[in-house]
Amino acid sequence: MPNISDFSHMLPLAELEVGQHFYWDIGGLSVHGQVFMTSWFVIGALLLVSVLASRNLQRIPSGLQNFMEYALEFIRNLAKDQIGEKEYRPWVPFIGTLFLFIFVSNWSGALLPWKLISLPEGELAAPTSDINTTVALALLVSLAYIYAGFSRKGLGYFGNYIHPTPIMLPFKILEDFTKPLSLSFRLFGNILADELVVAVLVLLVPLFVPLPAMILGLFTSAIQALIFATLAGAYIGEAVEEHHD
Amino acid sequence: MFDIDATLPLMAVQILVLVALLNAVFSNPIGKVLDERSEFVRSNRLNAQERLDRAKQMAAEYEAELTETRKQAQKIVAEAQGEAQALASQQTTQAQQEAAQQREAAQKEIDQQKQAAMASLEQQVDQLSNQIVEKLLSSVSG
Repeated sequence: MPNISDFSHMLPLAELEVGQHFYWDIGGLSVHGQVFMTSWFVIGALLLVSVLASRNLQRIPSGLQNFMEYALEFIRNLAKDQIGEKEYRPWVPFIGTLFLFIFVSNWSGALLPWKLISLPEGELAAPTSDINTTVALALLVSLAYIYAGFSRKGLGYFGNYIHPTPIMLPFKILEDFTKPLSLSFRLFGNILADELVVAVLVLLVPLFVPLPAMILGLFTSAIQALIFATLAGAYIGEAVEEHHD
Repeated sequence: MFDIDATLPLMAVQILVLVALLNAVFSNPIGKVLDERSEFVRSNRLNAQERLDRAKQMAAEYEAELTETRKQAQKIVAEAQGEAQALASQQTTQAQQEAAQQREAAQKEIDQQKQAAMASLEQQVDQLSNQIVEKLLSSVSG
């Protein structure tokens, strides 16, 4: 990937770095420090708002409690629609966390001027614009639906692979690989592309012109969080679904 | 860009921790509040429905009682009217009878007195005619 920051001496207003990371060395393992910094911010924000909302719970909700109840009801409905009335309850925390983490990450990337904080190398951005985060989330979804299938049906879960006919077996096995791949690349691609588009537009025309792309970015970010959570729910629902035949 | 390293497993662990923490501070307490509220609303509604049913039943009972009482009242009024009618007609006939008796008695007395008067009148006529006859006879002979 070419580094556009070479132009930055001509255009001092903005610079764009892709594929550069602020490496931390932890016990011989190198990790992307900027991803962890923003993800801790996101996690901290989520926990802070949750604690504030659930600190003083009332029967008649108001303010933050009302808002978080709305969020929880939204997540519950999402899980219920995808997994089904009977099985959805234990999965609400997982799907809710996915949705909230991705949503807040995406919007923090789109709304907060992370780039004002300069790092020695690389730059701060939404945690979801790093492939490691999205692959981690997607693999967790894979583990979750496989766990859901086995805990629900035991070894009968393998029946899912030959469900309508045994011809489906290779495709179903292939699906186990394409599901995390498509989940992670969809999220990563959308968020990174959105940030790049905005960054390139800012690079070219610093004022007003990037605004439509930024607004579109907010919309895409929200949609991506919804898609990720919905698909996670759909995969889990598919794994626990009962076949009567 | 596709630089996958130890960030991935650490991020996965971090997300799992976040699931546990959010479960503790978000979905669990707020979910409990939601469930309790819907339970509260449901039981209240059930209670209200029960009370409404009971009130309706009581209203129906009162209505039935009212109709019954009205019917009884009508019956009593009809009875009383009948009795009064009977009494009135009885007294009327009695009075009529009495009146007829008295009239008869009076008639009888009148007849009696008439007869007595006739008798006395006849006597006087006889007397007068005797006197007339005597007078005539005396004048003829005299």
